[in-house]
Amino acid sequence: MSDNTKLVAEKRTDFGKGAARKIRRAGNIPAVMYGHGTEPVHISLPGHDTMMALKQANALLTIVIDGKEQLALAKDVQRDAIKPVIDHVDLVVVRKGEKVTVDVSVHLEGEAAPETVVTLDHNTLQIEALATNIPENVVVSVEGLEAGTQILAGAVELPEGATLVTDAEALVVNVTQAISAEALEAELAEAEAEAGIEREEHDEAAEGEAAEGAEGEAAEGAEAKAEGDEA
Amino acid sequence: MLIPRRVKHRKQHHPNRHGAAKGGTTIAFGDYGIQALEPAYVTNRQIESARIAMTRYMKRGGKVWINIYPDRPLTKKPAETRMGSGKGSPEWWIANVKPGRVMFEISGVAEPVAREAMRLAMHKLPMKCRFVQREGGDI
Repeated sequence: MSDNTKLVAEKRTDFGKGAARKIRRAGNIPAVMYGHGTEPVHISLPGHDTMMALKQANALLTIVIDGKEQLALAKDVQRDAIKPVIDHVDLVVVRKGEKVTVDVSVHLEGEAAPETVVTLDHNTLQIEALATNIPENVVVSVEGLEAGTQILAGAVELPEGATLVTDAEALVVNVTQAISAEALEAELAEAEAEAGIEREEHDEAAEGEAAEGAEGEAAEGAEAKAEGDEA
Repeated sequence: MLIPRRVKHRKQHHPNRHGAAKGGTTIAFGDYGIQALEPAYVTNRQIESARIAMTRYMKRGGKVWINIYPDRPLTKKPAETRMGSGKGSPEWWIANVKPGRVMFEISGVAEPVAREAMRLAMHKLPMKCRFVQREGGDI
């Protein structure tokens, strides 16, 4: 469920990159708020509080401008490519009881059958839900799924009150057979030969030691088991 | 190895190395990624070497995505050659990577395995990199 965070904003009167940079230097984030046919309002938000609030996906925010409260969702967040800072936020006005279309992340749960690889083809699903009741994520269980199993968007169990907007035929989870050890080794050896990569001695030695260690443990285990059986 | 099948011009100018990445700065496919922190030319051999390092460590689990492509030729004049007499012959295929770019992504493995696999891969790359992962708000 969405958390409701209160952010006190100030209206902006200066525009352009110079003014925006001045706001960022002061530790605030320039933002714009629009929606429901209202005039766009240019505001500046407190930097740290906004960043903490936006750590949660689809966070419902209460923006306070000149004492007036307004519910809003972050529609677009512009982040710096390298530094962990937010450059600008687009907020869309929402009302209580209104349904909104949002992207919700898919979370996998459980362990698939051995010798399989689970691939998440759609990291997010678009759903329609109440603005005040947006689920944090959608949980898909892959417990014991065999190779060749596919879970489509239509088969994903959504939280109460949410409806699916994404195409119901879209592939969400694909469980495939893991490549065999021999095939993987052959593929990597071929790739190394093509690229002219020579494996370093300590790499092979480390791999050999790891293999010996595993074999040794397995042998010890077998011996112990045999002794136990004899006893 | 990644090599373009056909190019319009066999010899190109050196790509611009200034500025930060304009796109591809967030994780798009997998759960974990390697993000460049410096600009660099990444050759197809380095890309392949990093991929092999990750795949070897992850063994049979997980999936690797490569988000960069070495589509630019770099030329080199032979040793002990006087200047002039035309441009050298194509020697490498490179991807022009700028800071912020997520170059590799992986999924289907636990975080410690992903972290170690990507640490090994980072040693094969010519720039400073960092490990990044998908977060709740990064959609």
